[in-house]
Amino acid sequence: MTTANRSETIDKPISRLFGQFADAIYTLGYRIVGDRHLAEDVVQETFMKVMRSLPAYRGEGPIGGWIYRIGYREAITVTRMRREDPIDPTTFTVTSLASGASVEREVLNIELVGRLDDAMHQLSEPVRAAFTLRDIQGLPTSEVASILQVSESAVKMRLARAREALRVQLKEYL
Amino acid sequence: MGLSCDDLDAMLPEFLDGSVSKDEEVLAAEHLATCEACTAELSELQSVTQLYRTHGTMQLPDEARERISAVLGLES
Repeated sequence: MTTANRSETIDKPISRLFGQFADAIYTLGYRIVGDRHLAEDVVQETFMKVMRSLPAYRGEGPIGGWIYRIGYREAITVTRMRREDPIDPTTFTVTSLASGASVEREVLNIELVGRLDDAMHQLSEPVRAAFTLRDIQGLPTSEVASILQVSESAVKMRLARAREALRVQLKEYL
Repeated sequence: MGLSCDDLDAMLPEFLDGSVSKDEEVLAAEHLATCEACTAELSELQSVTQLYRTHGTMQLPDEARERISAVLGLES
């Protein structure tokens, strides 16, 4: 393949997909693995695989679903090799902070994010994955089922379990 | 006949996802109008999702973004 061809058929699409899905795969990776450095590894490995497989991609279903599926598999692989690493709550996106929010408010938000994180990591990995894709990232249930390679009813069961467990654990914030 | 609390509980996942039928939605609304406990539970479940949707997404740090872009051979 010539340099010009590679630029048109691989680099440009990958650059666009990386821009579009890097944060989503990072969120998914972190929510499953629980470590920000390993979540970065998940992103890197995912897009390496996307880059290698893109020429053979036949366009079955939404490309986002295909990327999520690769990212999920990577996260599971990394989870199996997981090492303990302290969680740094400052890596979260605290989107609700208005500009000029008080320091006190910011501290409370960081504390809340830490509690959300702790509560979520009490869930089993399959339940966490379903909750991340459906409730945090807002994907349709059918797409979550396709990514996780389970039935829609299994996704709904996992979601119900996640929501109820989190509701109980986070009662003071609701 | 209206829904019981158990009926509504069984329907909650679909209700929260907005994937119930019109008839089920009407039945659920009728039950919720008269049941404080189910209304409170539904509100809390909606709050859980809202909390995570607001605070649970993350951004890949710039340093990692640049490093991975370089590994992929992408122009930054």
